Amino acid sequence: MEKADDMVTPGELLGRANDLKPGKGAYVASKNNTIYASLTGFRRIQPSTPGSPDQRPIVEVIGHKAHGPVPEPGSVVIARVTKVMARTASVDIMCVGPKSMREKFTGIIRQQDVRATEIDKVDMHLSFRPGDIVRAVVLSLGDARAYYLSTAKNELGVVSAESSAGATMVPISWTEMQCPLTGQIEQRKVAKVIS
Amino acid sequence: MENKQSSSPASFIDSTIVPGDVVLDLSSMTNQTIKLGGGLRQDCDVISAMKAGTLRFSKPNKYWIESSQKRYVPCVEDTVLGIVVDSKADNFLIDIKGPTLAFLPVLAFEGGTRRNIPKFELGTLLYLRVVKANFGMNPELSCTDASGKAAEFGPLKDGYMFETSTGLSRKLLSSPTCPVLEALGKKLSFEIAVGLNGRVWVNAASPDTVVVVANAIMNSESLSTAQQIIMVEHLLKNIQ
Repeated sequence: MEKADDMVTPGELLGRANDLKPGKGAYVASKNNTIYASLTGFRRIQPSTPGSPDQRPIVEVIGHKAHGPVPEPGSVVIARVTKVMARTASVDIMCVGPKSMREKFTGIIRQQDVRATEIDKVDMHLSFRPGDIVRAVVLSLGDARAYYLSTAKNELGVVSAESSAGATMVPISWTEMQCPLTGQIEQRKVAKVIS
Repeated sequence: MENKQSSSPASFIDSTIVPGDVVLDLSSMTNQTIKLGGGLRQDCDVISAMKAGTLRFSKPNKYWIESSQKRYVPCVEDTVLGIVVDSKADNFLIDIKGPTLAFLPVLAFEGGTRRNIPKFELGTLLYLRVVKANFGMNPELSCTDASGKAAEFGPLKDGYMFETSTGLSRKLLSSPTCPVLEALGKKLSFEIAVGLNGRVWVNAASPDTVVVVANAIMNSESLSTAQQIIMVEHLLKNIQ
């Protein structure tokens, strides 16, 4: 079922598209119908799924060192807010779904993506503060610097935040959190945690 | 370390406080609303000081710490003198002697539209109002008052700008008029703009007047009212 694992590098020829189908880490160059590797790793050929019309075996490149998870559009991420500016908030993405990241990815939450209603009246300072932990969904890969994230749903937003007195605040509504030590109320875009 | 359990808060009012001093004990004052101004913070049941200065109280329930520094901490609705450092697509970057540069939106002028954006050279001095000043974010400024009118905000032409402490700026803006300005105003005619960030701009017909006014203001910080008047008379004798 699995041939002896050969080490391949990006650009190495894996086979002809007539015989094989490209899987993870491989792609077809359409001009000469050959399959090349796009990652570094070990080549593995798997038989095709029974019952599919295309009976070619699948060739994949399996990483010899495990790659960390990468945010994809539509995945829910947990991030920490690093900087709040007039129309955007910068965050460091820490976890994708249940897995934590190996490398730091930067994300941006724009003013129009903070909530679903009245998006032009959003005050970024009343939605996030530096150091807050937020749950957001990835909108797109964004630009070269950061992913675009959105918190425009009830279950997205600030999950945990520290008050100016240093205590973890308790959410009291979708816009307010209260400090247990001083009783001061601070404004955030709070996520509705469904238990 | 002494543990000051003050039973009467009046004992600290108008006296010098250093950071860490417990100024008010809230457990002895229940059911009262207290307003805290700058320099004070609540630590569970006590109010403690964050700045060194004098504790002030104003009826019915406002406490704050007054101090004079060279550094300015931006507050909303302050009027400041800023210097243009850079201009971007949407904002001018202005230096207001604060921890970060401030943004002046390009449209924040009376009748400002995308077609008539003012062009300020680097180094232009502007009289501005602070619109937003949140901790950690760059402050936002405006060249209009709250209703959108120009109201003396904008670039200051000619004249001379010098830097003072924030305490002296507040004294110059207090009402009734500060004694040094009153004494100077009786004999000389000049124009003055005071920024709460420790910058003062003076303009007059002749350079002698400008220098005398600037020197008088800079000397007046630690003088009492009578001393200020004597000092001004002394300076005016020299130019007469």
